[in-house]
Amino acid sequence: MAQWQEVQGLANTYLEQVDQLYAGSALPMAVRQSLAAWIESQNWRQAAEPLCSHARILFHSLLVLLGERVGSLGSDREDLTLKHNLRKAHRELQAEFQEKPERFANLVANLLQEERRILRLGQAGGQEGSVPAPSPALEGGREQQIQRRLAEFHTALQEAERAFRHLEDLQDAFDFCFKVHYRPGEEKNRDPAYLQELQSLQAKLQNLDRQRREVLAQMQQLLGRSETLQELLQQELGGWRTRQQHLCLGGSADTNLRPLETWFTELGQGLFQLRQLLRALGDLRQKVTYARDPLVAETPLLEQRLQEQLTHLLKSAFVVEQQPSTPNAGKRPLVLRTTGKFSTRARLLVRLQDRNHRMEARIHIDRNPPNIKGFRRFNILTSSSKTLLAGDNPQEGLICDFQYLTLKEQKDSRAGKGKGASGEGPLVVTEELHLITFTLAYACCGLELELEATTLPFVIISNNNQFSSAWASILWFNMLSSDPKAQQFFSSPPPAPWPRLAEVLSWQFQSVAERGLSRDNLLMLAKKLLGSKPSPNSTVAWHKFSKDGASGFSFWAWLDGILGLLQEHLKQLWKNGLILGFVSRKQEEKLLKSKRTGTFLLRFSESVLGGVTFTWVEHNETGPPTFHAVEPYTASELVSLALPDIIRDYHMSLEEKNPENPLKFLYPNTARDEAFGPYYSQRLEGNLSESQKYLNRRLIRVSSRPPNRRQTEEELQAATENLETLQLQPRGQGTPGDLGTPLGVPTSPGTPHGVASSPGTLQMVAMSPGTLQVTPEILGTLQGVTASPGTLHVTPGNLGTLQGVAMSPGTVQMVATSPGTPQVTPGNLGTSKVVATSPGTVQMVAMSPGTLQVTPGNLGTPQTLQMVATSPGTLQVTPGNLGTSQTLQMVATSPGTLQVTPGNLGTPQTLQMVATSPGTPQVTPGSLGTLQGVTMSPGTLQVTPGNLGTPQVGTLQPPGLGTLQLQPQSLEPPQVTPGAPNLQGTLQVAPGAVQVLPGGLQVLQVASGDLGTPQGTAELGTLPAELRDLELLPGGQDMQELLQGLQAPSGTLGTLGTLGVAELMPDVVATLEESLEESLEQSFQLSPGSAALLAQHDPFLPQPEDSALPAVPSLFTDLPPLHIDASDFQ
Amino acid sequence: MGQTSGHQERSEKPEVAPSKVMEAEIEVQNKKEETKEVKAKNQKLISVFGLADLKNEAIGLYNLGQSCCLNSLLQVFLMNIHFTRILRRITVPPSPAQRRSNVPYQMLLLLEKMQSGKCKAVGPTELACCLSEHRVELFVQHDAAQLFLTLWNLLKKQMKKPELVKELRDLYTICIQEHVACQKCSFEVKSKSTMLTLPLPVLDANSHRLKTLEDCLQYFFHPEELTGQNMCFCQQCGRKTPFLQSMKLVHLPQTLTLHLKRFCFERSSRTHKLSHSLPFPQELDLRQVLAESQCQADDNEKATWHYELFAVVAHSGSASCGHYCAYIRSLTDCKWYCFNDSEVCQVSWDDVKCTYGRSNLYWRETAYLLFYMKKHPQQPWPGLSGCL
Repeated sequence: MAQWQEVQGLANTYLEQVDQLYAGSALPMAVRQSLAAWIESQNWRQAAEPLCSHARILFHSLLVLLGERVGSLGSDREDLTLKHNLRKAHRELQAEFQEKPERFANLVANLLQEERRILRLGQAGGQEGSVPAPSPALEGGREQQIQRRLAEFHTALQEAERAFRHLEDLQDAFDFCFKVHYRPGEEKNRDPAYLQELQSLQAKLQNLDRQRREVLAQMQQLLGRSETLQELLQQELGGWRTRQQHLCLGGSADTNLRPLETWFTELGQGLFQLRQLLRALGDLRQKVTYARDPLVAETPLLEQRLQEQLTHLLKSAFVVEQQPSTPNAGKRPLVLRTTGKFSTRARLLVRLQDRNHRMEARIHIDRNPPNIKGFRRFNILTSSSKTLLAGDNPQEGLICDFQYLTLKEQKDSRAGKGKGASGEGPLVVTEELHLITFTLAYACCGLELELEATTLPFVIISNNNQFSSAWASILWFNMLSSDPKAQQFFSSPPPAPWPRLAEVLSWQFQSVAERGLSRDNLLMLAKKLLGSKPSPNSTVAWHKFSKDGASGFSFWAWLDGILGLLQEHLKQLWKNGLILGFVSRKQEEKLLKSKRTGTFLLRFSESVLGGVTFTWVEHNETGPPTFHAVEPYTASELVSLALPDIIRDYHMSLEEKNPENPLKFLYPNTARDEAFGPYYSQRLEGNLSESQKYLNRRLIRVSSRPPNRRQTEEELQAATENLETLQLQPRGQGTPGDLGTPLGVPTSPGTPHGVASSPGTLQMVAMSPGTLQVTPEILGTLQGVTASPGTLHVTPGNLGTLQGVAMSPGTVQMVATSPGTPQVTPGNLGTSKVVATSPGTVQMVAMSPGTLQVTPGNLGTPQTLQMVATSPGTLQVTPGNLGTSQTLQMVATSPGTLQVTPGNLGTPQTLQMVATSPGTPQVTPGSLGTLQGVTMSPGTLQVTPGNLGTPQVGTLQPPGLGTLQLQPQSLEPPQVTPGAPNLQGTLQVAPGAVQVLPGGLQVLQVASGDLGTPQGTAELGTLPAELRDLELLPGGQDMQELLQGLQAPSGTLGTLGTLGVAELMPDVVATLEESLEESLEQSFQLSPGSAALLAQHDPFLPQPEDSALPAVPSLFTDLPPLHIDASDFQ
Repeated sequence: MGQTSGHQERSEKPEVAPSKVMEAEIEVQNKKEETKEVKAKNQKLISVFGLADLKNEAIGLYNLGQSCCLNSLLQVFLMNIHFTRILRRITVPPSPAQRRSNVPYQMLLLLEKMQSGKCKAVGPTELACCLSEHRVELFVQHDAAQLFLTLWNLLKKQMKKPELVKELRDLYTICIQEHVACQKCSFEVKSKSTMLTLPLPVLDANSHRLKTLEDCLQYFFHPEELTGQNMCFCQQCGRKTPFLQSMKLVHLPQTLTLHLKRFCFERSSRTHKLSHSLPFPQELDLRQVLAESQCQADDNEKATWHYELFAVVAHSGSASCGHYCAYIRSLTDCKWYCFNDSEVCQVSWDDVKCTYGRSNLYWRETAYLLFYMKKHPQQPWPGLSGCL
């Protein structure tokens, strides 16, 4: 605020002082008032110096301005007096100071200084009197403080410039006089006039020297203040960096760089200006210098100091504005894929550059790679340099935006690391941190610098299924590390304090579904992770968070599965708080116990990855209340039927009664339809005039009531009145944009043809024989259901999820040409053929006999190839060229032949075969990674890997009876090949049952005598003698190595020496025939219709009494009479 | 340009200089006795001159040529109303020649000139000339710690009134007790000495950076073993034995001066400035910083060891050439000012904090001398005679 204005705002006592000040002064207050702004903006102190021409200029300017002011006044009565006063002042000033303007300058300077003093006193006094004001630092906050300082800095700079111009004038005057008057010589020295000239020259030089020193002092002061300013800016920048890291964690933070950019630019501008001024000072020195010239001594010092400041400012001003991220990663940056494109952007906050100098920015990946064994090195395939441009719009600033970057791994980068040996290297891929460094050759006003900025560490993955664990690494790093260059972070990852972890986990939910985790949610998670109530000092180890999990999934995998489910299907419900989510069973019962019958709550499953379930309470007339929970729904189910609809239509079939919906009130006390009403999908009635001639149908979920059991199974039931109906049921009709143009042409036997050209869900159900042909071009979910024999032909062009269900025999042919999830569930089929040509998930479920044929032409990276054959038949999988299929999972639940002949499985991570009923699952993978075979019931599981490169883990688990045959042809180094029968009392190892026949290899026989030190032979005695005939015929490999690590459970078999084919249970029953039949019966009682894909050792699993009930056979699955041929079990 | 030579000796001197000069002085002073009359008169004068100083303003001093160091120290002296209270009571030397060469008198003149001139800045020309008569050269870069000692000693020497000298001493001198104990026998030598500044090392014996001012203080009072080459001759053992040397704090003055030895000597004997960060607090309670074993004072004395930062003399540049400025918190309006020769401006604590230093910025202002002021001074201050 202007000084005079402030003065006028003073309290009366101080105003009196001002009044007194002007009462005795030659400058009337009227003049001060009229020309307040001009007077304050002049440097009177400088003008007051003796021999200064400036004072004269100022004095005359004042008179001129005063005259103008008088002229501009109107003829009001008030103005009249003012006019008079001003005229009078004009006359008096002119008379008094005409000859000595310096005195006038001094007068004004002193008056202004006195004013300032009174002002200070007044303001201090005012503060004391009033309520204690907050300290100025807090008042207005950092932002205002910076802005105020910037303004002060610029004012001071202007003042310094004025002082400099004054110095120039003085020097010119001196220089001129010196050249004119200075005539050294003997005779002159006696001339008194000359001596007088010399004296005046000497005085001028003194004056010049003083001015030089004053300018230098000003510059020192300026630099001191800018140091503080810069310190404040650096603090702000540090704050921004922290906020950016938060944002990368999924937190919400303001990462707008605009204010920082403005401040940095302003300070930079000021410093460059100061630099210019210093140079000009140097020029002045070139022209005139003398002994003890302060410029000689001090300018180099000032230059050094300024240079250091500018360099420091510019170096810190180069920041990574956008951390590397792939375009569709959503809110999860810093995870890159080798095949995918990504972008990153750096910005120079000091928006100053030479127009005619091209500044080039470059990017480098891992400039200083950490010394970690097996650390992958990458090249940036796309151009790594770019010219830094101020965009067309100057508002954009100086940015270098690198888009569409791709990475390629250097071929020799993993030398020394075994291919695919995930356990060998010190770091797994998802814990390997990489950095991109930006460099910029900066040049401006002759200042050249090499600037550098580094991104936050990121993880490079090659496959989508690594995404989740890669993100876990990013979370862990950004949560705990403040040094962005710590690439060795995961060599010894620190544990996370629980409060911090809780916050970050909550952010994940916030960013996915706009609702964080409640205190109760977090309490449950803490108990799960820590095993007890969390204390503020509790910490969670990285291993515990991301790796441990006996049943195959870690805490994070479980949580991320839930996040995925929320994202895809339950966003709204979660956001609006309808899902209680994380509730332990104990807590759940506590909550529901006191509620009325039919009160239910939604929570996430602890045993199923990405599952949600509901639990309701039922009060019986006698006894304690019972709680029922339905088997968890996962994405694959919710994709066809939304959860609110399931809840609406859920029914329980009761004996002797009509089925009814047990879900009545959402916890704590909201009527079901009131809570979920807004989310029900609208029915299709009347939408298609054609369909009005049909009765309505819709899919509902029904559970049959099991007597006194807690958990309830439910089955999909299609209730149709007319078998000839083919109905198109696009899900999510209520949600606009889900399905743009659902074109479905339902016809009775014949050839229905559906083409969907935009994403959404296209569901086609053919109930009668015929050919159902669906050719969606771009769609989200395609579900084809053929209920009666015929051909289901699905050729999605570009789709997300492809789901095919054939209920009766026929041919289901699904050709997925681009990524997505083709899912085929042939209920009762003859021939089902699935051809997936690009990555995604291929899921095939054959419910009835027939032939299920999968021939992926060119599966780039199918995430999961899941095949489930529930009824006898032939399940044939012939993936032509599975590039890197992560999981090939095959489950045959009923007898039949499961034949897998992958031609050239590149590096399939896991091949899992689960045969739950007798049959002959046959696997002949050409060359594959991990082979896991589980036969649950008798049958023959034949595995003939042609060329098992490095089968890491080949688990063969015949829990039922059957023949397990391993025929590796050239097992190079098969690490582990254990077989673990886990169905107590029902496993019989038949004579010659376990046969390992590696072909074409050296013959090695392991007889009983060869069994190393057979401890506990007593128990072994029950083994069939034939086992001893077991032959091991490995190739020319070191047997020790080959069979290492295969140990029977201690006390049962002891160490089977070097034989490591199977882990044999001690309590194997003696006779073959008996137990064969027994186990067959058992396994069929247990298994029809449901297949357990995972062994249930998970800590997250419910307690034994909670274990899931076997499902009731599907209404539409007509099992053929079981026919067991003894020959199957060889 | 800079006088590169003198730095090394200068920086080492302060540890020795004050005690030697002062001991002689103090001895003389001790013999004299004050009368009650004088005391009463002084009290009255203190109150009169104290009032005068309450109106003091922050006024700049023109640089006369390499005089930034002198200017900064003069500001620190003249902004200290406890000092000006003493200064205002000096006797004016009778002859003009004496007046010209009397440092306290010239200093008082300067103070008057600053406070009455209503100018932005004044030139300390006369004082500088006067000092040059006492071998304080003009146009030479000085070390602030060294110059502070020289100035103080000149002031004390030329203040004719003994009561003023005593007050001046009370205001600035620190009393410590040195213990040197033979490690072989129980032979122990105790000696009391006074210091004007505590020369605090900023690196420990292993050249590791000390983190804060408190660490420096603790390290300074940490007992040191004198072994090997540093062994001392023990009278009792009759040979050179390892000694344990320690210092104990006995008395602290109203104005406590701390000297941060921000330099180190490389092998080439070139002085090197240490610019790393060394935070110092606004409030310093030495009772909490020092251990019981590091003090030799009663509770009454210790109760006054609570200090508030009053001034910082900061240096920018390298060891061979640089610039001094002073940050001073006015005792009258309680605001921070920065004095850069003729430029004076009001600043905030943030600006003062900037003189903590930063390791990768070598040309920045870094605090060199710290002046702390007792928060609750005892009136009258217990004389030094008690501990001497």
